Amino acid sequence: MNIRIFAAAALVAALSVVAVGVSGASGGSAANTLTVWLQVDAQSGWPEVVAAANAQFKAQNPGWDVDVQYQTWGTHLAKFDATLAGGNAPDVIEMGNTEMTKYSAAGAFQDLTAISFPNKSTWLAGLAASGRYGGKIYGVPYYAGSRVVTYRTDIWRQNGNKVPQSQAEFIALAKKIGAKNTAKTFSPVYIAGTDWYVAMSFVYDYGGKIAITRKGKWVGALDKRAALAGLAAYKRFFEAASRAPAGSNEGTPPPYDVMAHGNAASTYGAGWFTCCVGDYKNRVAQFVMPSHTKGQPIPGFLGGSDLAVPVGGNKDKAAAWISAFTDNASMTALRAKGNIPNTTSLLGTSVNERAARRSWFVPQSKNWVNVENGNVLRTMLQRILSGRSSIKDAASVASDNITYTLNQ
Amino acid sequence: MTTAAEVVPKAVAAVAPRAATIRRQRRRRLRRAVWNVVGLALFVVLVFPVFWMVSTAFKPDNEINSLSPTWFSARPTLEHFRDAMARPYFWEVVKNSLIVVGAVVALSMVVAFLAAVALAKYRFTGNKLFVVLVIGILMLPQAGLVIPLYVVLAKYGLTNHLLGLVFTHLVILLPFAVWTLRGFIMGIPKELEEAAMVDGSSRLGAFTRILLPLVAPGLVATSVFVFITSWNEYIFANVILTDQANQTLTVWLSYFYGTSRATDWGGLMAASTLTAIPVVIFFLLVQRKIAFGLTAGAVKA
Amino acid sequence: MTVAAEATAHRSRRRPRLKTIAQASVPYLLILPVIVVITAILGYPLYKLVTLSFQQYGLAELIQKKGVWIGLDNYSSVIHDEVFWRVLLRTVIFTAANVVLTIGIGTLIAFLLVRVSTWVRILLTAGLVLAWSMPAVVAVQIWVWMTNFENGVLNYILTELHFGDYAGHDWYGSTFSKLAMVTLLIVWGAIPFVTITVYAGLAQVPRELVEAAEIDGAGPVRVFRDVTFPVLKPIFLILTSLSIIWDFGVFTQAYLLIGSSAVDTSNYVMGVYVFIEGYSHSDFGRGAAISLLMLLIVAAMSVFYVRRMVKMGEAS
Repeated sequence: MNIRIFAAAALVAALSVVAVGVSGASGGSAANTLTVWLQVDAQSGWPEVVAAANAQFKAQNPGWDVDVQYQTWGTHLAKFDATLAGGNAPDVIEMGNTEMTKYSAAGAFQDLTAISFPNKSTWLAGLAASGRYGGKIYGVPYYAGSRVVTYRTDIWRQNGNKVPQSQAEFIALAKKIGAKNTAKTFSPVYIAGTDWYVAMSFVYDYGGKIAITRKGKWVGALDKRAALAGLAAYKRFFEAASRAPAGSNEGTPPPYDVMAHGNAASTYGAGWFTCCVGDYKNRVAQFVMPSHTKGQPIPGFLGGSDLAVPVGGNKDKAAAWISAFTDNASMTALRAKGNIPNTTSLLGTSVNERAARRSWFVPQSKNWVNVENGNVLRTMLQRILSGRSSIKDAASVASDNITYTLNQ
Repeated sequence: MTTAAEVVPKAVAAVAPRAATIRRQRRRRLRRAVWNVVGLALFVVLVFPVFWMVSTAFKPDNEINSLSPTWFSARPTLEHFRDAMARPYFWEVVKNSLIVVGAVVALSMVVAFLAAVALAKYRFTGNKLFVVLVIGILMLPQAGLVIPLYVVLAKYGLTNHLLGLVFTHLVILLPFAVWTLRGFIMGIPKELEEAAMVDGSSRLGAFTRILLPLVAPGLVATSVFVFITSWNEYIFANVILTDQANQTLTVWLSYFYGTSRATDWGGLMAASTLTAIPVVIFFLLVQRKIAFGLTAGAVKA
Repeated sequence: MTVAAEATAHRSRRRPRLKTIAQASVPYLLILPVIVVITAILGYPLYKLVTLSFQQYGLAELIQKKGVWIGLDNYSSVIHDEVFWRVLLRTVIFTAANVVLTIGIGTLIAFLLVRVSTWVRILLTAGLVLAWSMPAVVAVQIWVWMTNFENGVLNYILTELHFGDYAGHDWYGSTFSKLAMVTLLIVWGAIPFVTITVYAGLAQVPRELVEAAEIDGAGPVRVFRDVTFPVLKPIFLILTSLSIIWDFGVFTQAYLLIGSSAVDTSNYVMGVYVFIEGYSHSDFGRGAAISLLMLLIVAAMSVFYVRRMVKMGEAS
């Protein structure tokens, strides 16, 4: 290589990049651009709803543009923290409902109490609660998702084709299916061992709680009798129905993948799982996960998203965009995609909407996220399912940890 | 051979050592064959993950989902590659990655070369301090710097901007580049340098005219490392570039598994394959120089 | 003395001094660009890192951009946290294992490269390059894909080769197994750099010396100790110190492979620990304190190698 050419090329390249970069800077976010961070689910799931909201917003606010930047769940908080520190946070951000309280408490969001959003009086109670803190509204409910049982109709047909009405019935059915297919990787009801959303549903089903408040302080409640009964029920169900390793989680592999591989007759998880079961797409249906009390649904975790306006954002315009994005037309479209809309006025009787009738939510403490990130519940579940410690011991360790963390 | 020995007994004395050489040669060949087998086994182990990535990328979904894997697809498909390339912003992101890497390699080579000359050829007060600074930066835990760095870039208006990432990568990579280049420059024989100075050129002039070409292999070797690290960097790119249209390939890839919906293994593996291709090409282009270059640098550093 | 002569003498006296000054400033001019770039980009973050470590600095403080000075509280809370010491011990062992395996295997492959036929050497080199060119985030995904308990190809291969029944085996079931998988991933990714560097170094070992030693009756071990190793020593110094620095602070592989849903106090390594304490828990002050402690520890761990490197490379 001729060194002089090399050096010259290097310099030209460097200079041109600097030029490109500098020219790009001016094309960044202009004064009249509303920056919106949505999760990538909207990009792959309902981009037309986003586009419609943008069009509506632009029509009502001439001269304004919307820049929607899609984020992923795993990394959006780290990015959000950085933008808060750098003073260039987006105007609107989608937050998971379990993430809201910590940021509301820290003062990351603007108060939206006085603004009249569409359907504000009929917001889904469980979801709206996550957007409130200290009597003020910081988050507008966006959509929710409940958990249902997705099952293989062909396997069900070979086994009596009945929808179980109680956990006892479900266990009996699972044992029957499991006896016919004894492969180590096949699960009658695939549940990842440390899927705490499922496990805590059993706890709440037996009247237990993760934590309660007493005299303004949080107290972990997993070591109480009701919660212990729930954990024991979870262990019974898991052992009868799922052959996943004790330490597995619902992320790797995702339950629908397991179904797609033909390794599960059913699974308990999000309502949209039917989308992704591969060749079994036409051989799956859903029902509501039964409670231990016959005829009732189990309380399911109500996962969902809120829309919030970070400090420094343009509150009026942000609120206008949120209104456009959460109006009846948008919500009807979201519901058609298998989501639960943010308002009871649009609620129907689909299987996931029926499942949402009984639900539970995480303790609304600003420190709850630390319990999640520290995987306190998952560690407890792995200890219980692997038999490394008794239910009581594992629960009391986790409970103490929760008490400590929530009161920090 | 034996017949020859029988027929001409006189030759025995001469043949015996030849037989020994042949035996030795045969033993050597056998030993080489054993080493070759070991080498091939190692090759299989080393390459398997890459092979599995590429093989998965060409499989139709039902083969990916199959419980008994096939090594090569019976019905290879380009579908996953098409899907990956049809994803939003693919070409923008490729362009971004190339811009960032190009700028980082070019700038770091120029800047690091100058500093390396200073360290290798001059004694000056504070050079030890400089060396300590360079190595100290190598040791910094990067995770701790993400937010403060973002704040600085925000002050310069460089967040969500390729230039911000270019500067960040420069800072991460300059210490390594300075350090290795210094070794290469020290490897240059003093006589050559003196000869250049006798010619009447200044010390610096001598470097640029005569000695720079000698350092070329070192520059190439260092630039490979810089290229690979910058191309593959994820943590800073992910935080600094918030908009998909401004992101680099590794961040773009994370959108395959960052959704709460299905992970598309075929698509992810196809996209990963695409991501790796430029690095492999770059490496193959400079492969011959690096083996030579790395030696000179490492030994003298 | 004429005026002109005096002027000449004067000039000749001044000129060298000017020249000396100009020459003396050359090295500083040369390092100036590096200093400018590093100070402009890294100066403030470093200053911030140090000040944050003395402050109560959580999410609320981050938003208001104002911390509360608390002296050494962050440091004392960290060093009184038994988790910190457990994680530190685990990370030191982890680092040692990774460094030894990387350098050991990498060197052995380099020696192998000398002994095989050309076509095998080309194949192996190509394999090394492929492994090297995988971005860490991609490599992690490949690993997840290969080692998942349900239909991972690793379990399939082990079962097919009759190593036992690995169907459904969970490679992430215990702390040891988790960290072993991370080690496998890191070593796989780091071997190419080591091998290619050492192999290049081997080419510099004078053949005559090796042959002379062999004629003297030295076995392969002695040849390595007396002839090969001294030549390779500077390379090993660099590789070892770089590996210590990289492996001690490893984050991407350890966090992504174990997975955000499975990292906990029983399997943190330092890089993950500082991320969880500082970022996930939004205790940036504490995170800064841990970062600086990490810096001190890794400096202490590698001081031996770094000092020798600095000495070896004194400017001539």
